[in-house]
Amino acid sequence: MDNPTVIIIGGGATGLGILRDLSMRGVKTLLVEKGDLTNGASSRYHGLLHSGGRYAVKDQSAARECIEENQILRRIGKSCVEETEGMFVRLESDDPNYESQWIDGCKSSGIKIKKISVDEALKLEPILTSKIVSAYLVPDAAIDGFRLSWQLVDSAKRFGGEIKTYTRAVGIDSHNGKIIGVRVRNRSGEHEIPCDIVINAAGGWTGKIAEMAGLDVGVQPDKGTLLVFNSRLVNRVVNRLHKSGDGDIFVPHGSVTILGTSSMSVPTPEDTSTSRAEVENLMRIGSELIENLPKYRLLRAFAGSRPLYRPKGGAIGREASRGFAIIDHSMEGLDGMFTIVGGKFTTFRLMAEKISDQVCKKLGNSNPCRTASEPIVAEVSSKSRENVQKFFPSFGLNLAANRLGKDRFEKVAKKLESEPESRQLLCECENITRAEFEVIASEETSTDLDDIRRRTRFGMGTCQGTFCTFRAACIFGKNSAIDSTREMLFERWKGIRPVLIGQSLKQAELMRSIYISSLDVNAGGELF
Amino acid sequence: MNENFAGIRKTIDHCVACTACMAACPVMRALQDYRGPKLIAPAHGRLHFSQDDFDRSLEFCSNCKSCDRACPNGVSVSNLNMQQRGKFFESHKHSQRDKILAHIESAGKKIRTIPFGHQAANWGSSVGKILGISEKIGITAKRPLPIYARKNFKTLFKSIHQQKSDRKIVFYPGCYINENDPDVGIALIRVMNANGIEVLIDENFRCCGSPLISTGFMNESRLLAENNSARIQDWKSKNIPVVAACTTCSLVLKSELAEIFGDDRFANNNVFDAFEFLETIDLNLNLASVPKRILYHVPCHLKSQGIGLPAREILSEIPDLKIELADAGCCGLSGNFGYKKELYDVSMKIGRELFDRILSSDADEVMSECGPCRMQIQHGTNREPMHPLEILAGAYLPN
Ligand code: SF4
Ligand code: SF4
Repeated sequence: MDNPTVIIIGGGATGLGILRDLSMRGVKTLLVEKGDLTNGASSRYHGLLHSGGRYAVKDQSAARECIEENQILRRIGKSCVEETEGMFVRLESDDPNYESQWIDGCKSSGIKIKKISVDEALKLEPILTSKIVSAYLVPDAAIDGFRLSWQLVDSAKRFGGEIKTYTRAVGIDSHNGKIIGVRVRNRSGEHEIPCDIVINAAGGWTGKIAEMAGLDVGVQPDKGTLLVFNSRLVNRVVNRLHKSGDGDIFVPHGSVTILGTSSMSVPTPEDTSTSRAEVENLMRIGSELIENLPKYRLLRAFAGSRPLYRPKGGAIGREASRGFAIIDHSMEGLDGMFTIVGGKFTTFRLMAEKISDQVCKKLGNSNPCRTASEPIVAEVSSKSRENVQKFFPSFGLNLAANRLGKDRFEKVAKKLESEPESRQLLCECENITRAEFEVIASEETSTDLDDIRRRTRFGMGTCQGTFCTFRAACIFGKNSAIDSTREMLFERWKGIRPVLIGQSLKQAELMRSIYISSLDVNAGGELF
Repeated sequence: MNENFAGIRKTIDHCVACTACMAACPVMRALQDYRGPKLIAPAHGRLHFSQDDFDRSLEFCSNCKSCDRACPNGVSVSNLNMQQRGKFFESHKHSQRDKILAHIESAGKKIRTIPFGHQAANWGSSVGKILGISEKIGITAKRPLPIYARKNFKTLFKSIHQQKSDRKIVFYPGCYINENDPDVGIALIRVMNANGIEVLIDENFRCCGSPLISTGFMNESRLLAENNSARIQDWKSKNIPVVAACTTCSLVLKSELAEIFGDDRFANNNVFDAFEFLETIDLNLNLASVPKRILYHVPCHLKSQGIGLPAREILSEIPDLKIELADAGCCGLSGNFGYKKELYDVSMKIGRELFDRILSSDADEVMSECGPCRMQIQHGTNREPMHPLEILAGAYLPN
């Protein structure tokens, strides 16, 4: 690539949204990310495409942004969005005044809600407590953060955008108060990439990146912990109708359900630790909505940091704004440097549009934003699905088509057709064929098993990698099978450790014993 | 005893994906296309939300329950599979074939209403005419249909004179003994009478529901469960145990219904396999010598009850009788499974190990508690197996 005009630092949803937006407007753009894509907040959250209902009382402009973006993403991101719809339920113990404020808030924010009877609510979601006193349907949906990110990349690439993963920005260089480039470090060493504009979209790491340019941006990492259950406990997003708090949202996500979130200020975004205390707290609150919750199997816990923007003296935690801010640092004497901070996943496209507008203005580029009208990737048509149905495992076709997008889907289908042995299931829990694994593994950006896991979902189901890790490690071939196994299992263990109760404990011990006795890999380290 | 097995087995959340059930599944060994127990309900049950789809594996499970025994975590794999089959048929139509195979109880009744119906029913093709059975609708012509007895057990029962006794049991004959093999019921009466026990029957009992469950007729099966469980509880309140001589009937009534419907009312601890019951009494040991070697095929559904091999324990009291275990897996018939045209070959392939074992054995008799097992053995080996009750009845000296 010739030198880019713009370098984006940070491969989360915001950065990738900007990459797509600028590329579509014809701006030469490169994105650098220190790890794999979306290793920060964009995938470490509950995967809820907000209707805005959650913000309808506290912040109606955020609510309005949510519902607008929600409608847009349903159109442009069909294969990332599962249109589950959502339900808000108020329990006996919740403040009834909040309900009326919420109804008004939804109305004035343009969120269509539909009151349903308690009986109807329980018929739709029989697992919920019978202590519901009122229930509403809202246009919430589930969205897959991993998938969206990859599809944004695919889209940006079609318009000339580029990304470099595992490439860390280590310096921001300027000359006479003007940006001249970014110094990066990756496996091949350290070098400078010249550019005119730098966009700091590093999420929780925004402050650190700003520091490299001698700037000060207040970002408060706010850690949210989430739990993953082994099955679809609910078929739609279920929110508690009360002043937002911990553990009051259940999101069905493919074959699992995610319960979140807690909110805790932490000193560093690297802190994605989860503790038993956090798990128990979430379980306790979640059990108010689903009384039998402790009977259902947990798969893992995970945490991510929301990068809350904190202007000097601003609030922190849940009270802090979930809005976003764009800073043009030319005011502070660094021309060509922009920062975007705060916001939420649901509104990533809008954030990208706003900052791209400013950047384009500066570049004298008058092309309008097209991200809201063009689908992110071409969908796999139902006709081409039908043609290859017989090569896919049952109940596996749609999932694969949505994960893969048109081009890769065709590749995988061709492989399945021509190489019958590639129809073997590599991951039996999530129905991932060997063909799909191999197609993704062969891509340049797949540097380790975790990269492939995030894109295919192998190892993310019931057994958490017990039976697919060694298969994957043997097929992968880019690294030593033992190293790959160890890395993958360590990552799996991180999320399993806080939920070592009941069946997940049995699963964990089985996994540990298999790998210790066969490969001498002690994946778990100390269990407790 | 019963209590050990009562109570509900576990849901898919308890599966640790260990694959033990896959190694235990006889259908998997015989049929390459079968995805196997772990993949039907435990794994892919989680994915059904993704599309309206169907996997033929759901048809291939024979409900033999070998998987349940193998599961270290107590997952009720077979019943979860049957639940899914039932779910499938909530939105899909049953074939004529499945309807017929599921309703053997009413088939029996139908035959009894035709003058000399049992005779017609035993003339091969006439059975087809009466019951609407033919290759065309998907029932194999390669194996004979069950033979209907001249008089069914319930009719014969009326003419049997028994000594009154304070010690009573209710005999649950089930469809097969009642219609096709009443001699087993007669043997049971002789055995019980020899032990001073009077045998009652309860005309209000209905089919246990196994053929309905394995063909996905869940609502009908639930009605039977309601009826039969109420009858069992009623006898329990009178302190009279219900005894079955078919191991499928006893398994279904003990625990299967409760697991399938998740309803504790259907977990019946007042139901006993005949030999399990005999183990609880002070057995009359006045037994004649039977100098025979017997090859014993243990039915899958007895193994699944987790009560050991009570027939072997009891029969070993007979002087000079030697029992050898066939130990050759599942017979392959599994109720109506092996009657399905497309599964006939699979059924025979599963049974091959058992057939070979029997054909190469020089035992004097082959025995098995399960009616379908006995039919399959006869079909696969031309030997006519006995029910262990018949052997025991023969050992009681006429007094
Ligand atoms: S019930 Fe029998 S046939 Fe069905 S999955 Fe279990 S072992 Fe296999
Ligand atoms: S034996 Fe039980 S735990 Fe193991 S795979 Fe089968 S169902 Fe799951």
